[in-house]
Amino acid sequence: MSLYVQKRFLVIDDQPQAREALRTIAQTIGAFAVEFASNYQDALYRIRNNTPDVILCDYVLGDGRSGQQLLEELRRFNLLPDECIFMMVTGEQSYEQVVSAVELVPDDYIIKPFSPDKLILRLDRIMAKKEFFKDYYREKRSQEYANALAILEQKQASEAGRSYRFEILRQQAEVKLISGDAEGAETAYRAILDNYEFPWARAGVARSLHRQNKLSEARAEIERVVADTPQFFDAADLKANICMAQGEAEEAQRVLDEVAQKTPRNYQRKRLLAEAATLNGDADTARNVLADVIANDTMPGAVTPADRLALARSQVDAKDLVSAEKTLVGLKESEVQNLDLDAQASYAALLAISSPGRGKPRFAGLRPALMSAELSAASRLDVLRSALNLGDHELADHQAEALLEGEEAKKSFGAMRKHYALHGREMDFRNIQKQVALKRIRHDTPSS
Amino acid sequence: MHTLLDVLASGVHDAKNQLFIAESQIASAEARLGIELGEARYAIEAAASRLSRTLAAYHVLRKGATPAVTPVIVGDLCDEVVLDQKRHLASEGIVLTAACSVIDEWPLDRDLVTDMLNNAIQNAGRHAGSHVHLDARLNDGWLVLSVEDDGPGFATLPPPYGTGLMVAERLAGLHVRRGRQGSLQLRNGAGLGGARFELRLP
Repeated sequence: MSLYVQKRFLVIDDQPQAREALRTIAQTIGAFAVEFASNYQDALYRIRNNTPDVILCDYVLGDGRSGQQLLEELRRFNLLPDECIFMMVTGEQSYEQVVSAVELVPDDYIIKPFSPDKLILRLDRIMAKKEFFKDYYREKRSQEYANALAILEQKQASEAGRSYRFEILRQQAEVKLISGDAEGAETAYRAILDNYEFPWARAGVARSLHRQNKLSEARAEIERVVADTPQFFDAADLKANICMAQGEAEEAQRVLDEVAQKTPRNYQRKRLLAEAATLNGDADTARNVLADVIANDTMPGAVTPADRLALARSQVDAKDLVSAEKTLVGLKESEVQNLDLDAQASYAALLAISSPGRGKPRFAGLRPALMSAELSAASRLDVLRSALNLGDHELADHQAEALLEGEEAKKSFGAMRKHYALHGREMDFRNIQKQVALKRIRHDTPSS
Repeated sequence: MHTLLDVLASGVHDAKNQLFIAESQIASAEARLGIELGEARYAIEAAASRLSRTLAAYHVLRKGATPAVTPVIVGDLCDEVVLDQKRHLASEGIVLTAACSVIDEWPLDRDLVTDMLNNAIQNAGRHAGSHVHLDARLNDGWLVLSVEDDGPGFATLPPPYGTGLMVAERLAGLHVRRGRQGSLQLRNGAGLGGARFELRLP
């Protein structure tokens, strides 16, 4: 019992009596320092400021929030060090269904009611597991992926590793995916599926195929997951991303809209919904959703200039240039100076449309860079429409060509064609398409 | 969304929360006063399991159930079942022993399987002379979890199915892997001479 005396516990529950019960149990196993958080924001604040050793978090947090969402947000902002134990506490059988499906899981979950002894048993095990993977976590955290994989391989071959055989395979797949080896990740996920049809592993296959730009294969895999496990919301996000890459923004928006209604306070999902709506030409939805994100995503540092650029983009789409200008000018000059080239390009392009007096000189200043640099697809689209607006054919056509040659050609195709049509240049766009196709054929055919 | 299932699930959820509050207060009193109220806590946990099993029974009868399968360390699962049952059986003069020779993580629904084994041990405890044994081993690619006792055995085979056995049989069948399906087998005259409950999972 003494093991937990020095640990700092944080109990997160919106019900006072349940909170008290969790504290009592924690104290019974020896915990001396037990803090409370009564809601989502409070929990985030406490974890940010002083990360506890053990978090006991109820699955139901009230106000449309869940412990799972908190966990996802903590991971997203890197607020959960590997040493910290996150234990979900639940009276709901339904949480088991979530844990069995999703990719992002807590260290463990425990079903109420439970005895102090059972909590100790579970915590001891988590600590043993963290100890087993300790050296691996260290390498992964310092992005030494080759070392991390080598350690996993050793563990896989060891006797002790047999107790964690799925976790080792899962970690291998994840490291391969983040280190850019999508093919290796696919193989690792398929090795898991050979053992059991875990939804998260099937989603991993889809994710790996998406990275390899094998879009129809990825789509087929993710459709299976979405159909079988509707409670796996991240799978719906992945499906939407794949749909967008395939140029099916309408389906992407439909899928995201459905899931977003079930998770009204997941603002990452709402950002994705706004992206799909923008590509789908539904400027009103994009505008409303982004306004919601900017007003309500209260996580410090969560709302970025990229969100304001996305809002301005949707306002330009909705032909509400006054609001777009306001949104852009709302960004401080110092913030704009610190943006990367992609964001600077979008900023200048959107400002040139909504506030030509201020935007045109800035856009002109960036032009040489825009003619030569690699840009993201979203920024290229912004530059393209602004250039069309200003009658700068050379700049617009350069972006169109780059987009059509790039991996995200299908994703941006509909929007490109629409902008060219707006300026009566459908024929020119078709010609660019032909040139890109010819170039590709020449490239693919060995010269005689 | 107010289906019958939602109504039941939310009722069970609230009841389990209340039971947890009661259990935490008992645990706190035990620690504070240096007394032993294990049987009171056991009764609370048994009540909660009974509620969960009722919900599970409703699920499987409506054919809407899917097991929540995660990789599970079988030895850990056995330890938890022993923790849940050992003290209570001892108070009835029955020894619970356990042996687990499975090292590999196994894909199964941890909470359902734990509940099935708890239920099987409770049943065995009612009929045992002095000994109940829990065993986990691999056999021809199957995970075999068994509970045996040294009582008189089942009076008839198959025995009359109560909620526990009915749910156990259905849920075993929902564990499917590589084309193999889980099953439940009940028989008499195994190692300890009494009844044997055997869960085979692919």
